[in-house]
Amino acid sequence: MKGVSFLRLAAISAFAAGIAFAGTSHAGVAEGKKIFDSKNCGGCHQVAGPAKEKSIEDQLAKKAPELWYAGSKFKKEFLEKWLKDPKPIRPMEYYSLTKKNAGNHPKLDGKNADEVADYLMSLTSADAKKAGIAPKGGPQGRIIFEKKQGCYGCHEVSKGGSTVGGLTGPTMIGIGDRLQPDWIYAYLTNPKVFKPVKDMPTYEGVLSESDLKILAEYVSSLK
Amino acid sequence: MVGKATCVIAAAVTVFAVTVFSGSTANAASAEANYKFYCSQCHGLEGKGDGPNATKSQPVSPRNHTSATEMAKLTDQDIVNVIKGGGAATSKSTMMPPFGKTLADGEVTALKDYLRKLCKCKGN
Ligand code: HEC
Ligand code: HEC
Repeated sequence: MKGVSFLRLAAISAFAAGIAFAGTSHAGVAEGKKIFDSKNCGGCHQVAGPAKEKSIEDQLAKKAPELWYAGSKFKKEFLEKWLKDPKPIRPMEYYSLTKKNAGNHPKLDGKNADEVADYLMSLTSADAKKAGIAPKGGPQGRIIFEKKQGCYGCHEVSKGGSTVGGLTGPTMIGIGDRLQPDWIYAYLTNPKVFKPVKDMPTYEGVLSESDLKILAEYVSSLK
Repeated sequence: MVGKATCVIAAAVTVFAVTVFSGSTANAASAEANYKFYCSQCHGLEGKGDGPNATKSQPVSPRNHTSATEMAKLTDQDIVNVIKGGGAATSKSTMMPPFGKTLADGEVTALKDYLRKLCKCKGN
């Protein structure tokens, strides 16, 4: 009996230490995880890596984009804002070719949204390496984006005040406020880790490394 | 009872075998599945060039793959080249993207055959 209660005590203090640790580094990680679980966000979103999908069927069975590397991908301020007022990121319903995105994503209120954002920012991937990519607009990137490849064939962009382009990819309007530049580069150069099965072609090995870098800088400058 | 149990086990073994098998050939989806997943977003589910990305603002329309007149202009090799290298490979618009690093060679050939079925045509 004594042994058991000792073990239990040890487990409780380890648990408490875990929370305290998380508590000092990011205010709302543990609270955010609780909210995430209680709202059943995990019913649609994968939060434990690595990616498991191997086939088109696996990908089409997914209800939502994976969040297991959200902390490497998103900007925290974006998550805080979006979780309170989620506006469609993908113009079409997730992986649908027939239905528009109804814009009915679950909403969180103030404190809950901030804590869930803290939790999501704690989910990172070692494959999203620091690459020193900084937003940079201009003709070099635009030529790759619009001419060398037709990125806006699938991704809408803002041009001369109007929205142009395709609808199946996530919108590129405001992408600079949404994503971390280094993640954009990591995704372009090593897509398999993040999205092993995706409807976007792989450009790694199609465009040169320097073109991919310029492209990541350009994309992260888009508003 | 024994019969039922054996049946369940047999079913489980089959499911397992199918899973393992499809896992080992993860890359080789059927041409139809590949077409619907990668191509239909622009070319439409039936290949008529009317996928959701064929918006009014696009500079060129995706090819109508059911048009024998259009598709007969391409040799089998042209089709393979354009799928792998994108529009630039046949001096067309880069709005047709390259799939050479996305699809295995066998999948590209199977897609070429699938396109020939859609247009009911041969290359000149
Ligand atoms: C019914 C399924 C479903 C549930 C439940 C759900 N989501 Fe989502 N979520 C989606 C879909 C679908 C998208 C893609 C929306 C878009 O592109 O506009 C999405 C997008 C997101 C994104 C952006 C991801 C990206 O890659 O663009 C975040 C962050 C997110 N959800 C967080 C949450 C949180 C937090 C909860 C719980 C409060 C939650 N979701 C519950 C389906 C769901
Ligand atoms: C982003 C949209 C898009 C996607 C995805 C796409 N295509 Fe295309 N495709 C186009 C456009 C636009 C054209 C017309 C180019 C032109 O006329 O200059 C085209 C043209 C073609 C042509 C005719 C080329 C020629 O020289 O006439 C073939 C064949 C073709 N696509 C096959 C495919 C196949 C197979 C897939 C899937 C693996 C695919 N496309 C995916 C947009 C797309």
